[in-house]
Amino acid sequence: MSVQNTIPLVYDNILTSGPDFHLQGGYCPDCDRYYFPIKESCMECLGSVDKADLGKRGIVYSVTTIRTRPPLGLPQPYSVAYVDLENVPLRVFSLMDPSEAGQYCIGQTVELKVAPLGLNNNKQVCLRPYFRSISSPQETDRMS
Amino acid sequence: MVAIIGVGIIPFGQHLERSIVAMAMEATLAALKDANIPKGTIGACYFANAFGGMLFGDTTIGQNLTAAMGIRKIPVVNVENACTSGSSAYYLARHAILAGECEVALVVGSEKMCVPDFGLINSGATELDTLLGMVVPAGFALRAQRHMYEYGTTVEQMAAVTIKSRAHAALNPYAQFRKIETLEQVLNAPMIADPFTRSQCCPIADGAAALILASDNFAAKYNRAVTIKSSVLTSGFYDNQADITHWDTDYYTANLAYEKAGLGADDIDLVECHDAFTFSEILHYEALGLCPEGQGGQFVASGQASLGGKTPVNVSGGLLSRGHPIAATGIAQIVELVTQLRHEAGDRQVGNCRTALAQCMGGDKMGDAKSCTVTILSK
Repeated sequence: MSVQNTIPLVYDNILTSGPDFHLQGGYCPDCDRYYFPIKESCMECLGSVDKADLGKRGIVYSVTTIRTRPPLGLPQPYSVAYVDLENVPLRVFSLMDPSEAGQYCIGQTVELKVAPLGLNNNKQVCLRPYFRSISSPQETDRMS
Repeated sequence: MVAIIGVGIIPFGQHLERSIVAMAMEATLAALKDANIPKGTIGACYFANAFGGMLFGDTTIGQNLTAAMGIRKIPVVNVENACTSGSSAYYLARHAILAGECEVALVVGSEKMCVPDFGLINSGATELDTLLGMVVPAGFALRAQRHMYEYGTTVEQMAAVTIKSRAHAALNPYAQFRKIETLEQVLNAPMIADPFTRSQCCPIADGAAALILASDNFAAKYNRAVTIKSSVLTSGFYDNQADITHWDTDYYTANLAYEKAGLGADDIDLVECHDAFTFSEILHYEALGLCPEGQGGQFVASGQASLGGKTPVNVSGGLLSRGHPIAATGIAQIVELVTQLRHEAGDRQVGNCRTALAQCMGGDKMGDAKSCTVTILSK
């Protein structure tokens, strides 16, 4: 039995199944709108929302590192970011790989990983999705 | 129109031995005394508190206050709306008077936060963002980082907000942090969330503030009455992939308040805004139209937001130095505006102050605020 089968996920229905995890969200075909996490209904038309594979790559839109005492048993420090997904027009809030905390910058290409990280609200170790870098920044020349 | 005829506030800070009700009563008594009315004149009470239920298991605290004061039979409404709890209570009280439901309304905000292990505030324990590490400083830090990237806003410009805030607070006996802070002190303080050091984050606090609102008819005999020109409460846009350096909710709420008041940014002599972090104040300068978009950093660094500058902002010390007892904050901002418009602010008085604005924001949802309030007052 794999780790993923024995350790609870921090939040239901946010990952596709299988060893190569992708983010799972929702899609409203009538409004052509994506959601993460999936919603009960589309916030525009209030119609039903289909499950959607949101892929596993994105570009860092903004990033910060929390250096004070962390919540939920997360490591200190830990980085969080808004990531613009590569495959769908959606920006998601995400944890970043703790081993790279403080090393991220805007424009970097990142890829999804899933591992035991911190605790859930029941104080149990749980799986969390996070992004880690696979390239250097693409947009840093904008500031130069 | 509706007017404010009485204000009351207690110093913000640690009040470890005092209850939410005890602090609220002190602020209320001060407001009643300021308005020179007996308690029996109050026709409705709007009571704001955000954390009493979570921290102490206390609910419907407004009735605990009115019962303790022997104020009977009137409608009492308890309001929780994150950081805008107090300003939302004020918004509702004004509407009750406009609707003719009462002539005089009491608005009170009281909060106790100085308890062990309070930790970082989030926007709901079961929200996915919270479970992925979103805490309030992170949301604002992400906006700051993108603003720095887009516009070249600097850490020194952000630090200028704290330096100004402490200098203002030194003149306010109700503020929590009243010592001058230098650029080096601000930047060398422990880092909380990049780029915010501890000096750039508002402190938690215990505190209370109160207002007495009255109809125009009732207020006519008051020389010190201050008129509410507009009061607006909105919620977020919740657009995905929005430009987080341009906070639509903030711009929309400000513009609505200006439109309803028939005024513009150039008419404003004083602003109290929701400076939970240094950078939030910079974003609010831009949304309120005090400076062009992207130039909030230069605005504060050049002294234009300081006492004596083009548009003084948070002369009370704001959340950064006065402290931020959540539900009392929105009301404390209005207490400061009224004090300034009456020209009773002593050493921190803004010269020729005739029109003033208070802005507040609360909560976090889908990268947006859950609530935003703006009110414009004049004398």
